Amino acid sequence: MKTFLMEHKRWFQTLFVLIGMFLLIQYLKIDLTILLTDLHYVVELLNEMFPPNFEAIWDNNKVLNSILETISMAYLGTLFGGLIAFLFSIIASNNIFNFILIGRLAKLILSFIRVLPSLVVILIFVVAVGPGPFAGVLTIIFATIGTLGKLFTESLENLDPTSAQSLQSTGAHKLQTFKYAVWPEFLPAFISNLLYCFDINMRAAVALGIFGGGGIGYKLYLAMRVLHYKDAVALIICIIILLLIIENLSNYLRHKILGN
Amino acid sequence: MIKAVHLTKQLPNGKLLLNDISFEVSKGEFLGILGPSGAGKTLTLKSLIGLLDLTNGEVWIEESNNEHINIFNTKAKVLKKLRTKIALIFQGYHLVQRATALDNVLMGRLGSISTFRSLIFGFNEVEKKAAMSSLEKVNMQHLAQAKVASLSGGEKQRVAIARALFQEPNLLLADEPISSLDPKNAKIIMGILKELSTLFPVIGVFHQPELCAKYCSRIIAIKDGKKVYDGPPVLEESLLEFIYGEELAIVIPEKYAN
Ligand SMILES: Nc1ncnc2c1ncn2[C@@H]1O[C@H](COP(=O)(O)OP(=O)(O)OP(=O)(O)O)[C@@H](O)[C@H]1O
Ligand SMILES: [Mg+2]
Repeated sequence: MKTFLMEHKRWFQTLFVLIGMFLLIQYLKIDLTILLTDLHYVVELLNEMFPPNFEAIWDNNKVLNSILETISMAYLGTLFGGLIAFLFSIIASNNIFNFILIGRLAKLILSFIRVLPSLVVILIFVVAVGPGPFAGVLTIIFATIGTLGKLFTESLENLDPTSAQSLQSTGAHKLQTFKYAVWPEFLPAFISNLLYCFDINMRAAVALGIFGGGGIGYKLYLAMRVLHYKDAVALIICIIILLLIIENLSNYLRHKILGN
Repeated sequence: MIKAVHLTKQLPNGKLLLNDISFEVSKGEFLGILGPSGAGKTLTLKSLIGLLDLTNGEVWIEESNNEHINIFNTKAKVLKKLRTKIALIFQGYHLVQRATALDNVLMGRLGSISTFRSLIFGFNEVEKKAAMSSLEKVNMQHLAQAKVASLSGGEKQRVAIARALFQEPNLLLADEPISSLDPKNAKIIMGILKELSTLFPVIGVFHQPELCAKYCSRIIAIKDGKKVYDGPPVLEESLLEFIYGEELAIVIPEKYAN
């Protein structure tokens, strides 16, 4: 029996996956036939979406404002989140901060921040400060602390310790070695991670807008809610172009910084 | 004056990295330390400045007013102050790669200037001039503004030496300071070290017995963590063979011998 199982291992594995899939589809009550019977809805929706109504964007100053709002949210969130993350990472880095237990605590707080999904965090902030860009910025700051706190800690802990040691051997103060030996070596990682995070935060700022964070995401939410699909598609195209520009800009700057 | 007494470093597994090494070096002496790779030369040098936790041993350093301090038995503050006047050139240079050569030299005096000033204002013009002249001494003034990461091995080594000179120490420890230098620069550096030894003790680790014999005033040989020679810089062939092991003696296969 055992050898039979072993010999046909692959078949049993495949069977197992298929049965699991079938059971889960039943459990979620997914009716696959809908895909076929309701196909005409999709066609109708597409008809209502095209052509996109770009005039809704140029005519309406508010849309341009909302784009600026989204960029500002991502920018401020990255800036303040980055600064707080930097402070955290100094405490969390064993090679810089000597109190290992406090460092562990900082790392624990950082991972706690990271496991909280942003969509949950924004719900809390919307209740706390009301819907709008402020709630969005606070959420982005929160997420940025988690992400950059980890990345900064890793780059600080991976720095070559010898240059700082050689300064300490000349009697330099810990703060002096930080400014002269640690900071210059850390700076490229600092800036490149900030740029990378700004790129991520742009997407987050759009998505959070839908959940009450303001900006162009909120405009998209409004357009969908009042069934202005042609406006919505124009907004989506706008968002895609905006995100592509930001991503390429961020990549370009990062390569330039890491290059030298 | 610096005095090492019974320097001993034992690993938990019982292996002796330093085995009861003692010596004393005074002003006017240029001590060369020789020995095969892995003998314990770097560990010896590091113990002299308290960078190595010894199993046993003391290092006594003379303060200005004839007072002697055991660096392994003193307050952190005293040790820190003592270190501002001890220059150690590391075997791997240990420079800040993304800073310029000049900035790396300036860092040699961080311990001596006020922390507040160095954090807020940085170094002043007088110090920059002095750092420049240290670079000139090792023929590196033309690369003062170059990032260390872009320098060649020998250039990095000379920046590390310039930093030690700029520190204005009372004691200079140099771990293989000429290992990456061409013959001309090696001689220049050996000349500088010899000259400095008239002002304060200079201790260098070398893999060049000929240059040691020529420039040093005294030689110590270390093998397997033990001091096996301490005396004048007269290196007979039998001694060299003893230090480095016979297998290192150059043997020319008959085929190539003419
Ligand atoms: N932290 C350590 N733990 C275990 N062994 C060590 C440690 N540090 C050094 N050693 C060993 O001690 C020995 C002496 O090291 P040291 O660096 O002093 O050699 P060295 O004489 O300077 O050699 P080289 O000429 O290659 O620089 C080496 O075998 C090294 O592997
Ligand atoms: Mg060595």
